[in-house]
Amino acid sequence: MVQITTDNSYGTWRFCAWNGMIFMGVFIVFWGIMGHNVPPYGGDMDASVIANYFRDNANLVRLGMAISMTFAVSYAVWGISIGKVMDYILGRDHILTNLQVWGAGLTVVPILVSSSFWLTGSYRPEALPDEILQLLYDMAWLLIDLAYSVTSVQMIALGAGGLRDKRAQPFFPKWVCWYSIWVGFMFIAEILMPMFKSGAFARQGILNFWIEFMIFFIYAPIITYYQLKAIKRIEAGEPAA
Amino acid sequence: MSDEQSALHQTGRAPGDPGVWFFIIADMAMFAIFFLIFMAGRHEAPELYRASQAHLDTRFGLANTLILLISGACMAKAVMMARAGDGAITLRYLLLTLAIGLLFGISKVMEYSAKFAAGIAINTNEFFGYYFAFTGIHFLHWIIGCGVLIVLIRRVRRSGVNAENINWIESGGTYWHMVDLLWVMLFAMIYLLPPGGAA
Repeated sequence: MVQITTDNSYGTWRFCAWNGMIFMGVFIVFWGIMGHNVPPYGGDMDASVIANYFRDNANLVRLGMAISMTFAVSYAVWGISIGKVMDYILGRDHILTNLQVWGAGLTVVPILVSSSFWLTGSYRPEALPDEILQLLYDMAWLLIDLAYSVTSVQMIALGAGGLRDKRAQPFFPKWVCWYSIWVGFMFIAEILMPMFKSGAFARQGILNFWIEFMIFFIYAPIITYYQLKAIKRIEAGEPAA
Repeated sequence: MSDEQSALHQTGRAPGDPGVWFFIIADMAMFAIFFLIFMAGRHEAPELYRASQAHLDTRFGLANTLILLISGACMAKAVMMARAGDGAITLRYLLLTLAIGLLFGISKVMEYSAKFAAGIAINTNEFFGYYFAFTGIHFLHWIIGCGVLIVLIRRVRRSGVNAENINWIESGGTYWHMVDLLWVMLFAMIYLLPPGGAA
């Protein structure tokens, strides 16, 4: 049996794998619901509407964003655990594994920074003019949407790496790998978001928000499920490919 | 034809890697949503869509359709030749597929340039927003398709038409046909379909 790593702390691997779900849960509840981001206020809305959102919900948004920022790192923790499984597919220190881990790690940055913009807006909204609050809101959405490519790197690297698994029963089934590649690729539609203030491609639009975020939210549970199964197999002594 | 190739040919399964089909179905589902959004917009504002559609040059749309159909036919021949085990002819058809397919890019750049020169951009109105968005995303698919064709050509050059490469060619061919099919739908919907029916 080829030993890929001396690290056999599978409980920690598993805990880190669950961080993907922790991230998603926190993101939906604190960033999404508490932060009033499901759905976002439209790009075509008046500055006063955005300003009133910050003023009327200041405490909720503060708490929501503070918790979101605290747990943003969970995404990187999850990615590192996926990397452990990928080591068993590709061998140690493979470039696709590195890309996956870096992609997941860098995904934390736009989430942290954009959340800090929402947090800044909610910090002293009574003292700021409407246009400044609108600016912060726009900046937050433009950053979180347009930083899609770092997450695409993670997804495409994971898919491409998983497809190289030569096991009769691969850790990540082929359809999961192709789903991963497809999600990473389809994020490119976000590039259209700055061109629109209304319609399907605007930040609140059916494509830019509802569909893109939905395929992202479905992604983490699917990967985590197969990741946990893979960790179980590795723990049971399954050799590296 | 080797036993391996013969077996591939006679299995009656969908061509290419089954995983690629997942990608293709997901992608086509996304385009189906694009089409629904466009049709809903068209239903809401038939006058705007009619006036905007009049600014499209159907000749470009038709040329693009013919280019992709002919290129697709060459791809189909490449798959057939690969299955028949003829590496040299397969390579020739793959090169032809790419060469003809590249004309799509030239035509598209000319078409977009003409629109920009006429002062039409993605934010001109809803119709042109969707026109640029949907054809732009399709254009990205075309770019990836060209990349896939280059990979196929390199593989066949390097190792001929073994079972693994046949699988690659079938998978790449399926993707290339999807690019073709999506364009035919876009062409019919955006360029040809009269908004508001008889109105």
